[in-house]
This record gives sequence, C-alpha cells and structure tokens, in this order.
Amino acid sequence: MPGRLFVRRRDGRIEVRLNDAARAVAREAFGHVLAAEADPDHEWHASLNSPIDPSHDVDDPLATLSRQHDVTSNVELAVATLGEDFLNDAEAWAWLCTLQVALRATITAKGLMSAERLNEADEATRDYITTLQTFLFGLADAM
Amino acid sequence: MPSLKPLRVSDQSQTESVTSTMTERPWNVIVWDDPVTPMSVVVVVFRKVFGYPNNKATQLMLTVHHEGRAVVWSGPLERAQGYCVKLQVAGLLATIEQDA
Repeated sequence: MPGRLFVRRRDGRIEVRLNDAARAVAREAFGHVLAAEADPDHEWHASLNSPIDPSHDVDDPLATLSRQHDVTSNVELAVATLGEDFLNDAEAWAWLCTLQVALRATITAKGLMSAERLNEADEATRDYITTLQTFLFGLADAM
Repeated sequence: MPSLKPLRVSDQSQTESVTSTMTERPWNVIVWDDPVTPMSVVVVVFRKVFGYPNNKATQLMLTVHHEGRAVVWSGPLERAQGYCVKLQVAGLLATIEQDA
C-alpha cells in the first residue's frame, strides 16, 4: 500500500486510496465491531462495554445505551461507505472511530495492553494491528 | 451596619442549591494510555469531542503518553459521563472519577 491512503481533496472530501485487499481488512474489522456490539459472547464485546465509572458496579444505563447507539451508528455508516472512493467528514469520523474501536478491542481481547505483551504477540496479530494503525495514521492525518 | 432579615423559603432553597453546587466536587474525565493507539488519532479525537485547539489537544495527548493518563475535562457528572461515552465510542480508553 504505497503512498498516502487517505487524501483531503480541495472540495473538502477525503479520498480513499485503499486497494481491494486493504478494503477487505477494513471490512473484516467493521464486521467484527458490528457483531461484537450485538453478541455478548464475541471476544470483542467486553472491550466495547468497558466501565465508564469503575468505582461503581453498574454504569448509568442511559450512558450505556448512548454508547451502544453511537458505536452501532458509526459502524453502520462505515460499512455502508466501505466501497466509496470519497468520504465526507461524518463518514471519515465513523471510519476513524470504528477502526480505533477494532484496534483497541483486538489488544484488549488478546491481553496485549503493554508494549512488552504486544512484542510477544504472534506475527499475524502484530500484522493485523500494524495494518489498522496504518489506516488510522492516514485517516487522522487527512482529518 | 445593615440589618439582617430572615430568609424566605425560596431564598433558603436557592442558597442551599448554590452552596451545594459550590461544594460538590467536579468529575474528571480520564484518558488512559495504551500501546497501540496512534498519537495523531488521540489529537483528532480531542479536537472533535471537546473542540479543543490543536495545541491543547496535543498537550493532553502527550500527558497521556508520558504519564499514562490525563484529566482531559472536569465538571458536572452528567457532562463528564457524556464526554466519557464519546471518547469510548471513538475507541479511547476513558473513565470518569470524582475529583479528590
């Protein structure tokens, strides 16, 4: 994936320069986030439901509902625009949020919350993390 | 010396409310470091969620990076919860805690 993956055009839109393989990785990540939000048994589910106030056993239900709604809205918008060549700001934000949720869910599910543990991860996991980070670097720079 | 007149019920209620607001400790929104989140993503999220200018967002990101956590906003509980949810929706590790 040489060159910049996301480019801000003069009309304000963000051009997506991902090839088919890269879009397949994004599609897989978005799919996992969508599934994890709905399935309590999904390995990413806990990461999507981390505590808001750790000093309480249960978080405010309205805040929890708001989080579920917003995560789902973002991932649905990201999935709907996966094949697009250009993203507007709302779509780019949905991509950024969903890719970042996928990145953090990956390390949380695999217990890789420190640099040392990350270095001990298998090669496939490290490649996947690096790919998501590359997408995120590119997207954040364009935003 | 001005004379003191007894407070009316509405005055008392107002005074209690003001006192309560003044003495209630604020809630802090905390963002925690992790080993994978790109720094530029954290800056973009702070700009978008809080409307912070780039230099303030960058300073807060560096505090998270170097100190492991940063208080990124303080204020009433409901707003703190709202900001924390937005940060979590953006994929950051965020919590709230009442100011010590």
